[in-house]
Amino acid sequence: MASKLEAEKVREAIGCFTGWQLMELDTCAHCALCTDKCPTYTDSKAPNYAPGVRSSKTTRLINKQLGLRAMLFGPKPVTESEVADLADSAFNCTLCGRCMETCPFGFQTHELWTTVREFVYALDGTPPKVMMLDEMLEGTRNPYGLDADMRLDWAEYTGFEDVPEKKQAEVAYFAGCTTAFKGANHEIAYSIASILNQLGEDWTLLGEDEWCCGSPLLLAGNKEKAREFAEHNVQALESREVKTVITGCAGCFRVFKWEYPKLLGRSPRFRVIHAVEYLRDKLASGELKPEPFQGGVAYHDPCELSRLGGVIEAPRVALKNLVSDYVELPENGMHVRCCGGGGLLQAANNDLRLAIVKRRLGQAKELGVQVLTSACPACKLAFIDGLRESGDDIEVLDIMELAARRLGLL
Amino acid sequence: MDSLIDALYPFFVEKLPYITISVFFLGVALRLVRWMNAPKGEEGTHLSITAAVKYVILDLVFFRKTFKEDKITWAAVFLFHVAAGGILFGHMRGFHLWSEEMFTPLGEGVAKFMVQILPVYMGWIFIATQIFLLVRRAALEGRQLLSLPNDYLSLLLLLITSILGQGMRVFPPEAIPSETYSVVFIPGFIVLHLEKVPSFHWFFWHILFTQLFIMYIPFSKLVHIFTGVISSALYGSRRSEYGL
Repeated sequence: MASKLEAEKVREAIGCFTGWQLMELDTCAHCALCTDKCPTYTDSKAPNYAPGVRSSKTTRLINKQLGLRAMLFGPKPVTESEVADLADSAFNCTLCGRCMETCPFGFQTHELWTTVREFVYALDGTPPKVMMLDEMLEGTRNPYGLDADMRLDWAEYTGFEDVPEKKQAEVAYFAGCTTAFKGANHEIAYSIASILNQLGEDWTLLGEDEWCCGSPLLLAGNKEKAREFAEHNVQALESREVKTVITGCAGCFRVFKWEYPKLLGRSPRFRVIHAVEYLRDKLASGELKPEPFQGGVAYHDPCELSRLGGVIEAPRVALKNLVSDYVELPENGMHVRCCGGGGLLQAANNDLRLAIVKRRLGQAKELGVQVLTSACPACKLAFIDGLRESGDDIEVLDIMELAARRLGLL
Repeated sequence: MDSLIDALYPFFVEKLPYITISVFFLGVALRLVRWMNAPKGEEGTHLSITAAVKYVILDLVFFRKTFKEDKITWAAVFLFHVAAGGILFGHMRGFHLWSEEMFTPLGEGVAKFMVQILPVYMGWIFIATQIFLLVRRAALEGRQLLSLPNDYLSLLLLLITSILGQGMRVFPPEAIPSETYSVVFIPGFIVLHLEKVPSFHWFFWHILFTQLFIMYIPFSKLVHIFTGVISSALYGSRRSEYGL
């Protein structure tokens, strides 16, 4: 018989759901309209990964404690196997938020599924590989378990000289862990840093003082730790009297812009922009004059930048200044099909991640795309891994890398 | 059977409505307590009235998202809700909230259509679309869907209620106590005025299942009648906040 969890612990864990979220779960009619748009369901056909099933299973566990039957006859125990089953559903999700766009009631599913992970975390049901990330973040302040002094290695590897680490600056470039620690993304950091230099910005990096933005902690369900990371980063930036934070990472951008005010209970004293927004402005003002690329270039919207971040037009405007033949992928903008690189899916189910990215690459291939761009280091890694499997002849670049190339900086 | 129904009829008409209303409001209160006792979230919810109204109309009145995803389901869902609204409106005539005369200026034919012909079609559409939704749910079960028992129960209750209601129109009238011409559920508050004597058996079971259905609303997914408006308004507000 599956072991049972203490009722008090379960009740406490239910406390992570807000009133709105309980209302959403109580309202979800399991209509399944979201299912065929869900990347993890469509590429696995596993019913447990369907959003409606996740909603149903979460409701069932909550109702064991708070439902009408529980009120009349007392709560029923929640078993460890039930929590493991919910964890399987919750972590086989890219948290792309596409189900929100198909939900007839507009449930804010990205937040809801993140809270389900928090619920699972509180009940000790988080998958072991995800817990490893959590532990590495605790120890090294990044999800790769690498030493903090390696955070600026990208500069050394790319030959970027005079790395600015100022005590005060107008602009801070927040590179993010996936850009700083993953070799395939080092040129993104180099490109952004070079463009900032080209434009003579008064900018700085945080160096070892840069901690993970906290996104993986939120995605793992460890909100309290994420709050600690947010406090550190905001303090590090505010103490430097930074006015604008630029990041090239869609995940960092979303967390800084939309999660930090919630985690901290106040808005930071700086504005946050994604590098593509900065690039768009500088291209529009004529301060940057690139030589347009000749060839078919498509743009994949990172979910965390577009649907979950609110930045959809800026990368397109920028790209139209950078390329002669812009190709729009199907399922774009608000309705973008996830590349599979989000939601810690790589840790939970890398095979599924690869299946999802191959579908997206197939869409680009059908259009004869020469260069596939994005504005997120996690998307770039997913595409590179997908291409390694599929063998398709598509070049993958971040928009900032493409811009730096067309400006003669890279 | 008839004697049992005759014996129970006064209870269902005179006593049960009080229980129905009490259970309904108790259920609503329990739901509200459950939601309001939960944490509020880290910051106040952004609300944009314009965006909220826009998305409630687009998503809940026209079912825009369902239309984009699945045209057949959209047709069923749209017609189902139109029929539900129409039937609810039709019942209001029995409670004297509107009358046939209100439509007379539009022509005798229109008035007749509104009170005699349209309700019959609405009834059939209502039943047909419910059967479609029930079959759809069963067909998707195990593949994409994991319905909870109450997902089926609410649909089944509504289907039975509407079949019984339609049965009243279809089957010929039978003997019925004279007092049912004005059925006083709650004196001075809920009084149903009937122009024609319906089939008594169908009427009896219809009012029983209607009340069971009303009692069940707050404990089922049917809360979406109210909460769907809130979640759509919040979704619209979010899009406005994100500049989308």
